[in-house]
This record gives sequence, structure tokens and C-alpha cells, in this order.
Amino acid sequence: MTIGTGAGLRAAVSIALLGAGLAAQPAAAQDKTIRVGITLRMLVESGIAYGDIAKTVMESVNAKGGINGAKVEVILLDDECKPDKGVANVNRFIHQNKVHLILGSTCSSVTMPIADITAKEQVPQIVPMSTNTSITQKGSEWIFRVSVSERFYAGAYGKYLGENVGKKIAYLYTTDGAGIAFVKQLQDYMKEHYKAEPVYQVQMQETDLDFRSHLLKIKSTNPEILAIAGQSDALARQAQQSFEVGIPKRVWRVAASSAGNVTYPKLAGEAAVGTTFTQAFNCADERPIAKQFVAMVKEKYKFSCPDHDFSQAWDAAQIALVALGKANLKLTDAALADDRRAIRDAIATIRYEGLAGGPIEFCAAPTPQCRDGNRTAMLVQYTKGGENFETKVVGRVSFDKDFGLGK
Amino acid sequence: MTAHGTDEAAPAATTGAKPVTATRHLLAWVAGIGVLSVLPWLAVNDYHRFLLDLILINVILAVGLNIVKGFAGQVTVGHIALMAIGAYTSAILATKFGFPFWLALPSAVLVTALAGAIVGIPSFRLEGAYLALATLGLAESVRIFISANDYLGASIGITDIPPPSLFGLRLDTHLSYYYVVMPLALAGVYFSFCILRSNTGRAFKALREDPLAAAAAGINVQKYKTLAFVLSAVYAGCAGSLAAHMTPGFIHPNSYMLAEMVTLLLMVILGGIGHIWGGIIGAIVVTIVYDLTRDYYNYQMLVFGMVIVLTVMYMPTGIGGIIDRYIVTRRFVALRKAKGDAA
Repeated sequence: MTIGTGAGLRAAVSIALLGAGLAAQPAAAQDKTIRVGITLRMLVESGIAYGDIAKTVMESVNAKGGINGAKVEVILLDDECKPDKGVANVNRFIHQNKVHLILGSTCSSVTMPIADITAKEQVPQIVPMSTNTSITQKGSEWIFRVSVSERFYAGAYGKYLGENVGKKIAYLYTTDGAGIAFVKQLQDYMKEHYKAEPVYQVQMQETDLDFRSHLLKIKSTNPEILAIAGQSDALARQAQQSFEVGIPKRVWRVAASSAGNVTYPKLAGEAAVGTTFTQAFNCADERPIAKQFVAMVKEKYKFSCPDHDFSQAWDAAQIALVALGKANLKLTDAALADDRRAIRDAIATIRYEGLAGGPIEFCAAPTPQCRDGNRTAMLVQYTKGGENFETKVVGRVSFDKDFGLGK
Repeated sequence: MTAHGTDEAAPAATTGAKPVTATRHLLAWVAGIGVLSVLPWLAVNDYHRFLLDLILINVILAVGLNIVKGFAGQVTVGHIALMAIGAYTSAILATKFGFPFWLALPSAVLVTALAGAIVGIPSFRLEGAYLALATLGLAESVRIFISANDYLGASIGITDIPPPSLFGLRLDTHLSYYYVVMPLALAGVYFSFCILRSNTGRAFKALREDPLAAAAAGINVQKYKTLAFVLSAVYAGCAGSLAAHMTPGFIHPNSYMLAEMVTLLLMVILGGIGHIWGGIIGAIVVTIVYDLTRDYYNYQMLVFGMVIVLTVMYMPTGIGGIIDRYIVTRRFVALRKAKGDAA
């Protein structure tokens, strides 16, 4: 008993010491520095590259004297696509690092809770990659989305497929947030505009390896379109197995935007050919800015055809720089709240043309109409699979601000 | 000293030390409560208060795991699923049925306790790695079930889980939430002391050392195994509910994966399996080290994996074991000195 109490007292002291240790951590530097926090999923090679692109773009201005004389300091953290990690990162950015601006995240499931925090703490947040429609529907004055919302992607698919391919769609998807959203929104669109019900639909697990039993059933329904969704590795298995069970090539394979991830054509090989998906950017883009960007990514990160998450990280960082340049920042401790407000107001005035398929434009009202800045979705198709995959743009659709929001 | 580490009774017996008085116990607790009460005010900023909340939730979780794993010696890797059950029960009750936090929390604890009894069923027939596999399977089933169930938010998660309110005041800051979590964590720690010192605790230890011998001594093995899982689940349910209602009030199945279970195991192993302070020390150290290594995300999991391996190899009794050894040695030296002086 004595020993237990002795250990108890020591543990209590340890708690106090560790608490003191925490308290002793250095606070953020306060000298004319603009601090930006970036939280992204950086578990995989491409994820690390997305983070590095955003950080490099933002810090590159320091070599030219910074923004209006102020240095840009970027704190880059990995959230592993886990909400609790993202929440911890953002709490650290706001309360410890005292950031002026936050960029994040990759996954909608992380962006949604951190959007609540940035709204409560009044810190401007630029969303580089998340697509879930509800992110901008909460009415936060502090959020701005650079990526294309699912409501536009679903519209691009639905309109193109309904008018050019057919309405008999079979759905095979996994328990992946973006994939579920893709399927749901496409189904809603087809139902609303063409009264078309799915000919077959099944949801499987992200970790499932064998989809053939369901694909055989799908084959028997003789669909015109096979809609597949999930993370890129699951997509690759779905595409390969769809050919193995004999679903003919004439059946269109349409996939969620994760098909644009470079791992999909690499894993799927020739089965990727014909897969159509939506993107905010395509590496075959002929514009000089796009060619320059593709060359840079190829040289620095060894990705021959960067997907739209590369371009969105770049565009988000560029927009952040424009806003920071436009905002009249005081950069003192006392003015932090004012600076954050000034950055928010500056982002709200931006009309930016970069790597995205169309302009990215924000406005002041905290509505999806104003905060879903990128309204141009591109339909892209693989023309070659494997390591040296190739793509072509099938169509490009720019939407009205109100599209997909219902009446 | 036991095969699984140390406990309170054993070193006391070996050293022959007198039991402390109830007053000293009380003073220790009062001091602990005093320190914990002012701790958030010593923190420099809200992030540290957020970390304190997180540490205390992890303490509840790890102390609970220590009951089933450390005290009763049951190899479970499904504890994180029990936390998920607690979190989702509380979230559903609060968001879909309008339960206030103060009602959602005990309801979640009850549901999780029931789930704990179910998770404990495989332990009647399985041991060691087989039991670990069974509990792992159950844990993954829970996560997959949540991911595939629209009512539970599927892969989108559940948003807008309300924070607790007290007399109309929303406890949605990290500071105010601390005073919700801290008393519960203290109660949890105190309760684990009570369990260990009770007949139930002794039955758990007997189970841990040798279930056959325990059965021969008249201990109802099935009953106590189930009880260990249920008690452990009570803690997990409480921690899950607290995590769900903490600002910004969002839960997602990705927060209850194998990596989280490994981190939880690390807390208990590093703190000292079976050591009464093991879960507490482990939760504090791991949460802080995890935060301090956040910038080195490329190597973080590698570091954590290596710490587990090295701890098991070179420090099997964990930090708690080292503390105990130090105290026992010091007492032994003092005793010899006293005997020498007397002679």
C-alpha cells in the first residue's frame, strides 16, 4: 500500500512537470511573420508531394523579400485522413502557432470538423482538395473551397452520360466517403433529370479484394454504364475484374474522381483504358501554365502526369499568396484577429485563373454559391494504362453558382 | 513481483512495510485533485488545454484497458471498438434523439458495457494470440459496420454532436470541458484502485497468473473474465462518449482503426502492464510524445513501433515497473540500514 501511494505522488508530480513542460514550449514567433498552417493527408508518396508543393509555393516568396516585407512561415502537418488528427493539427495551428491562415484538408471527413473549428475561432480556411458538398453548406464565413464540389462533378457526369451514353447504370462502390458521395449524387441526378433508377447497386468494403460475384450479376443486367467508386487501389481491382468477368468494352466505365490518382492507371494497367472520371485539372492541358507545371512536377517529384490534387495544392497556395498580398496585415499579436479578418475579406474578392479548368472566384456571402469557387469540372478518359498512362479530355463543363443546391 | 509486472500488494509484502493510513491516502488524493484543478490555468494557451483534455480521455481509456489486460491478463486488441461503440451511442442519442450529454454519457456506458460482455465471450475458450485475433476481428467488424451504415453516418461521420451544457452554459471550450473530463478521469482512476484492492481484483490477478489454478481455488473463471471485459468496456464507453462530445463534436470510423489500437496498447505497455499507474503514465507520456513528434510525421509511426518493440524487450514492466523497482530497492536499503543501526 505504501508503495502505491509513493508511486502515486510521483506520478502526480510527473503530471505537473509534463504540464509545465507543455507550458514551456516556445510560442510562435511574433516578428513580422505571416504564419500559415497546412494539414493534409501525407501518408503516401503523392500525398507528401501535395504538401511539399503547397509549402514550397508559399515559402518561395521569402526569397523575393516576402509579402510586403513579411516572411511567410508554413507549418505543414499530416492528418492521415483522420478527423481527430486533423482537429489536433488545427487546434495547434490556431492556439499555439497563432496562424493567420489554414489550408486543409485532403479528405472531406477531416475538412468538415476543422471547418467547424475555423468558424468558431474565426480563422480563414482554404480547402484545397475536399469535395463533399456539405462543407460549404454550413454557412461559415471563414471557408473557401478551391476544389470542385461534388455537386458539380455529379452534374458533369450525369449530363454527359445522360445525353451521350445512356441511362442504364450499375453501381459498384466501397465505403469511401468521396465514393459514396459520387454514387449518391449521380443517382440523384439521373433520377431527377431522367427518372432513371440504378439497374444494380452494391456497396462493399474498402479492403475488399474480390468484386467478381457482384460484377457477374452486373453483367447479367446488361448495363450501358458501370459506375465504380472507392480509393484508387479498389478502383483498379474493380476495373480489372470487370473485364475478367466479361463485361464488354462497350460498357462505359465511369469512376469517382479518385481514378485521377496516379496509382489507378498504374495498378489497373490496360483495364484503365476507357475509364472516364472527373477532374479539376488534366496533365494533357496545353496551356503554357499547365505545361510548365507538369514539367516542374515531373522533374521535382518524378510524377509524369500529375493528378488534380497536385494542381489544387498549387492553386490553393497561389490563392493564399494573392490574398495575403491584398490584405493589409499589421502582423502584431494584438492585431491577429484583425489580420485574420482582413485575409478572409481579401480571399472573398479573389478571381483567380491558374491550373484549374476554369476561373476560381469567391464572394463575401457565406453560402455555397460564394464559397465553392471552382465551378468547372472536366471529364477525362484514360487512353492508355500502366506506368506511362495517357489521358484525353472528353468534355469540360462550367456550372452556374446555384447548380445542384436544389430549390 | 509477478510475471506481468508489479502490483501494490506484492512489494509491500516483500518489504514488510506498514500500510499507509487512510489519512495519507486522503491527503494524496486531495493533493492530486488540487494539482489537477489548477493545471489548465497553468497552460499557456488553449492548445495545451486541448491536449490536457485528450490526455485525460486517454487516461480513462488506458486505465480501462489495464483492467482487462493488466489486471486480468486477457489479451485483447478490440478495445478501440468499445470506444467507438461508446462514441457512436452517445452521438446518436444526442443528435437523433435529443439526449443531453448527461444522459447520453451513462447510456453510452451501459451499451458499451453490454458490448464488453459480448466481446468477452470468446475469452471463455480462447487465450493468447487466438483471443487477440478474435477481439481484433470483432473490432474490425464494428468499424466496418459503422462505415457501411448510413444511420451511423457511414464514411461521412456524424457532425454537430452537442457539447455538454450546465445550467444553460455550453461547455464547449477546452477549459470548460476539462472540468467535465477531469472528475470522470479521477473517478475512473479511483475506481480502478478499488477494483485492484477488492476480492474482484485478487480474482483477476489469480486469473492472470493461472486460470486453471484460479478455477481450482474456486474462482468462477467465466464470471470474472466477463466482469473484466465489462469493467474495461465501461471505461472505453465513457472515453468514447467524452471524445464524441468534445468540440467540434464530430466522429468518424477512421478514428477507430488498428493504428489507434496500437497507440492505446503502447500507452499500457510503456506505462507498465498490470501496474496500477501504468495506464495513467502511459497515456500521459504517449499523448505528449505523439504531439511533440507531430512535425516528424514521416517517421512518427516508425518511432512508435520501435518504442513498443524496445519496451517489450528491455523494459517489460514499463515505466511503472521501473518506479516500483526503485522504491522497493530504496526501502530495502533503508530497512537494512535500520537493522544495522539497531544491531
